Amino acid sequence: MYAAAFDYVRASSWAEAVEQLQQLGDEAHVIAGGQSLVPMMMLHYAAPSALIDIGGADERTIEVDDGTLVLSALVRHVDLEHSAVVAEHVPMLSQAVRHIGNVRVRQRGTIGGSLAHGEPAAELPCVLIAHGASVHTLGPDGERTIAVNDLPIMQLVTSLREGELITRVEVPTLTEGQGCWFIEMARRPGDFAMVNVAAIVTCDESDTCTAVRLVLGAVGNRPVDVSQSAQALVGHVIDEESSEAVAAAIAAEAEVTPSSHAGIEYRREMAGVQVARALRGASADAQRRRGGVEVRV
Amino acid sequence: MTATRGHFISVTINGRPTDIGVRPNLSLLEMLRDDAGCPEVKLGCGEGVCGTCTVLLDGEPVNACLVFAVQTNGCEITTVRGLAGDGELHDLQNAFLDHAGSQCGFCTPGMLLVTKWYLDRHPEADREELRHAIAGNLCRCTGYTKILDALEAYRDLRLEDGHGD
Amino acid sequence: MATETGIDTAPAHARDVPVKAPPARPVPARQPNGRTSPVPHRDFVEKVAGTLPYADDWSFAGILHGVVVRARVPCARIASIDVSEARAVPGVRAVLTAADIPHNAISEEASGLGIEQTVQPVLAGARIRYDGEPVACIAAENMVAAVEAAGLVDVEYEDDEGVFTIDEALAEGAPSVHPGGNAYVTYNSSIGDVDAAMERADHIIEETYQTPRVDHAYLEPESGVGWVDSDGVLTLRVSTQVIEHARALAEILELPHSRVRVIAAYMGGGFGGKEDMTVEPYLAALVWKTRRPVRMVWERQDSLLARQKRHPFRMRYRTGVTNDGTIVAQDIKILGDAGAYPLLSSRVLFAGGVNATGPYKCLDARMQSTAVFTNTVPTSAFRGFGAMQVVFGYESQMDLIAERLGLTREEVRERNFAQQGDIRVTGEPIETECGTRECMHRALQELGELSEPTRGGRVGRGFACSMQPYGRSMFFADRASAWIGLEQDGTMVIRAGVTDLGAGQAASLANIAGEILGVTVDRTSVHIGDSHLTPLTGGTFATRQLYMSGNATVKVATALRDKLAPVASDLIGCEESELEWANNLVGMVGDRARAVTLSELSRTAESRDVMPYCHETFTAQAGEFDPKSGQGQTYPDYTHGCHAADVEVDERTGEVKILKYVAVHDVGRAIDLQRVEGQIQGAAAQGIGYAMSEEMETEGGVLHSTLFANYLIPTSLDLPDLNAIGLELYLGKGPFGARGIGEPPIGPCGPALASAIHNAIGIRMLRLPMTPERVLAAMRAGRDNSVPGPREHDA
Repeated sequence: MYAAAFDYVRASSWAEAVEQLQQLGDEAHVIAGGQSLVPMMMLHYAAPSALIDIGGADERTIEVDDGTLVLSALVRHVDLEHSAVVAEHVPMLSQAVRHIGNVRVRQRGTIGGSLAHGEPAAELPCVLIAHGASVHTLGPDGERTIAVNDLPIMQLVTSLREGELITRVEVPTLTEGQGCWFIEMARRPGDFAMVNVAAIVTCDESDTCTAVRLVLGAVGNRPVDVSQSAQALVGHVIDEESSEAVAAAIAAEAEVTPSSHAGIEYRREMAGVQVARALRGASADAQRRRGGVEVRV
Repeated sequence: MTATRGHFISVTINGRPTDIGVRPNLSLLEMLRDDAGCPEVKLGCGEGVCGTCTVLLDGEPVNACLVFAVQTNGCEITTVRGLAGDGELHDLQNAFLDHAGSQCGFCTPGMLLVTKWYLDRHPEADREELRHAIAGNLCRCTGYTKILDALEAYRDLRLEDGHGD
Repeated sequence: MATETGIDTAPAHARDVPVKAPPARPVPARQPNGRTSPVPHRDFVEKVAGTLPYADDWSFAGILHGVVVRARVPCARIASIDVSEARAVPGVRAVLTAADIPHNAISEEASGLGIEQTVQPVLAGARIRYDGEPVACIAAENMVAAVEAAGLVDVEYEDDEGVFTIDEALAEGAPSVHPGGNAYVTYNSSIGDVDAAMERADHIIEETYQTPRVDHAYLEPESGVGWVDSDGVLTLRVSTQVIEHARALAEILELPHSRVRVIAAYMGGGFGGKEDMTVEPYLAALVWKTRRPVRMVWERQDSLLARQKRHPFRMRYRTGVTNDGTIVAQDIKILGDAGAYPLLSSRVLFAGGVNATGPYKCLDARMQSTAVFTNTVPTSAFRGFGAMQVVFGYESQMDLIAERLGLTREEVRERNFAQQGDIRVTGEPIETECGTRECMHRALQELGELSEPTRGGRVGRGFACSMQPYGRSMFFADRASAWIGLEQDGTMVIRAGVTDLGAGQAASLANIAGEILGVTVDRTSVHIGDSHLTPLTGGTFATRQLYMSGNATVKVATALRDKLAPVASDLIGCEESELEWANNLVGMVGDRARAVTLSELSRTAESRDVMPYCHETFTAQAGEFDPKSGQGQTYPDYTHGCHAADVEVDERTGEVKILKYVAVHDVGRAIDLQRVEGQIQGAAAQGIGYAMSEEMETEGGVLHSTLFANYLIPTSLDLPDLNAIGLELYLGKGPFGARGIGEPPIGPCGPALASAIHNAIGIRMLRLPMTPERVLAAMRAGRDNSVPGPREHDA
């Protein structure tokens, strides 16, 4: 309950934050919402020598520009939850964000913070990977763009370089014919997930699947894009049988890491159950978006 | 342990401007309890799980245990004692009394602040929405049923009084 | 048979149960909100206002901050402890180890039956027996220094062989946690001839059940402040259920009892977890050493790691029944994991054993219950106290009997419900009437039609009955005292050593005394929980406070009324028998104009040397129990109830959603119906957590759930609305005929939900909690294989 001592500075721009990180050395850390970092500091799992508060480095902007949702890295979970723009263009973000922690955590937590933290059970990376999103970063060597799928490496480890900060997230929006569905399974609402699934399914007018994007999270040590394993669905109607077959294969191959919430074999099986449900949900969502059919999973 | 630089911050607590010196690793919770005379803000878990330490920071609910005091410079902080005037009870507090929404009372300050904030934004919230709204505030005494009764009574009272716009 | 509960379906053999009409009673009409008083008691007003000072909300100028340093090994010998570095940290005022504690022993003869004591050190000096055991305590000028010093306490450990499960502990040649072996205490009771009765039985149903180690998880961590007052008295103001620990603290510090005072702050929940001492000995030692005020709060993670838990039970039931479902023999063996120290284990296993046959008649019954030491966190008191674990055993057995014989679950219970006068396994009769049957009917009626599935799962309905004691075991010859005075302005002061867990213990004393003396709650001041200044009542545990302090308050209020009555009758000019005490006035029945204020009465009485105050002691019904024969008197009385639920089981995931829940108890008389409902709902919520999600798993003595994030107590989304019904059927032994309600409603949750799950999917869960993973595994296997079968030492 008592974080180790640290120095505290504020950054008023991304560039200033990068500069301060260089000055303050290896053990310095940025803080945005702090909802992942501060508990770790309080429980002595983390002890940064300095915190650079980036809360004032940018606005919390949410914009849509030519088929892309552009989010400042400082956009908070609560902003996503209440944004009509997000609900219209990347509805799965609105869906997923409601599973994060509790109302207070969503009030402070940011999308950039969630991505930089590298928690395998996090909701937003699954959705963003399914959408093929990317992040813009600024570091000592300048700017870069990284696909969200290339960010997480393993638990709490990402491909961000020393001193590099996520400044912006760009998400291709849901397009004509697509439907999406996010499922989180947790022992208790708001707790760390046992299984996360994000699915985007494209259907033609006869409800035949023409494309599928599928991400499985919280099972292994990072969210995994398993879209390839779901390609068997293309050309078929997603029904109970087809979704279960694909899901079973994905579950069988999934790398499952130990968790205090449930055993490995149970979580593997649940991955299969929830993948199938998410596929059917996304398919039904596609139909609903086209013709106003109520979604039932 | 290395010495780190202290900071002076200016905050407004329940409408009262306060200047206070803080070390960076002082949580908002500790600052409020130990340095700002607000023992009504309770420590429950220190992990951000239980909601017991909820305060409103610029009108929005936060876990005071997961915010460093130094981060709140310039902010307005509302604790449960800021809900109503001195010596008065807010209608929501009276609803908790009438419906026995409080037993041991330890979760009550956080519960009141979250629900006040939520019902201000969703004045017509139904029982299921209210159940979701308090899902991050743990209570070990009531089983939540009487808390929900109190919230519905308060909601109805406000709607009758025309505050439900 | 039509009663006030609207039951008209009781079968023929049940019809001879007499239903006594409730007698007239001196309790006023209820307010529309269900309260007996128009104004809530002060503590509840202050709770919603945020102004009630809990244990950690007090401070002193220059107060020191105390921390406990804990061993992080489950089993070891201490080779050395070096605190020199810790003592050198600037701001540190004391670092204490075992050598600094004058009498380093917490000892309580908990059984009350003369079982030999096992001593628990305040600070471990030679051996570590569980992960988290205190080895040092520190006081410093600020928390930063205290935490830094804690990290510098250097303890060198030598590996020691430990036992981490009941089976390991009871294995041949197992290392002993304490001298004398790991079977700490065993109770045996039996009546009739069980073996012969088993021979007579048409069927024998045998099964083993297992319940988890769980944490109280009250929201207020263990906390308090201590100081030495101007009379040199070491004073602690702490979150505790028992101020009488002042004596144990005095003995630890080798002080006269009169030099240690404990004040109990209103608690942010207790549930039995603050019945044993928590911060007290450490706080006391640090205050005494430094002669400075000290504050101590245990972090949640320490509380989860090292504060005592509920006993996990393994219960083997063998029940003999005839073809018509009548129980003819019961043979029950219970093993309870006591952890590393006894605390109240002997009492918990006693309660489990003697209540193991439940609300059912059986004249050939045998029980054995054993507390087993292991190198795990100690277990002790927790709401339900042994008597709740066994509800899972006896109610699951009833369902199994119904299944085996093709009877309904109601029928089997109807055949066997015990009645007033029936003999228990301890050879004693049940003294008051039993309302279990009525509670069962009401609960099932209240659920109505079977619920529809909400998400495509299978729906089932279940229920479970229980009979759980209130009041301490009768061989403790329990006592409680109270003092009441009228001030000159007619306001009332009550003094009683009650501690208030948050359930309105203080408020109920105001209600009870107000009823008798006609004083309203707003003109009543209740002083509770001070070992020096309030008459002692004994702690708030065993659902005893309403029974004990309530009766003491009735006694003292009545005595004061009788003492003042001659003065009042003289002032008013009427017979004493014509006096009416209400609304802060004493008047004459039927003539409201002739009334005097309590102020006038109080002043007049004093002027005539009739002092307007009294002190009285209530002594509970006492009894004797012979631990050798297992026969005698156990508990003064019982509270009966039934919980019923509809659940929906997701057959693909094993997830169980509770759709409807109703909890019905016979409360005798409700002193405050709204608070009674609140107690039932709270206990049911805690019982549902116990049934579905809560478990402190250990591996090799190491606890896995030491974060609030992974110890899963129910949120608002895990519970449906809890329909709590307090029936006023049969008078109990509390004030005005009330029965205790603090603990009993936690018992039936597990078996009611297991029954509902079985009804939905045909699988009987034998182990709590019934996590999705376990439910799914049991569905796969066709039975719950998570319980180890009977072992040699079970037989």
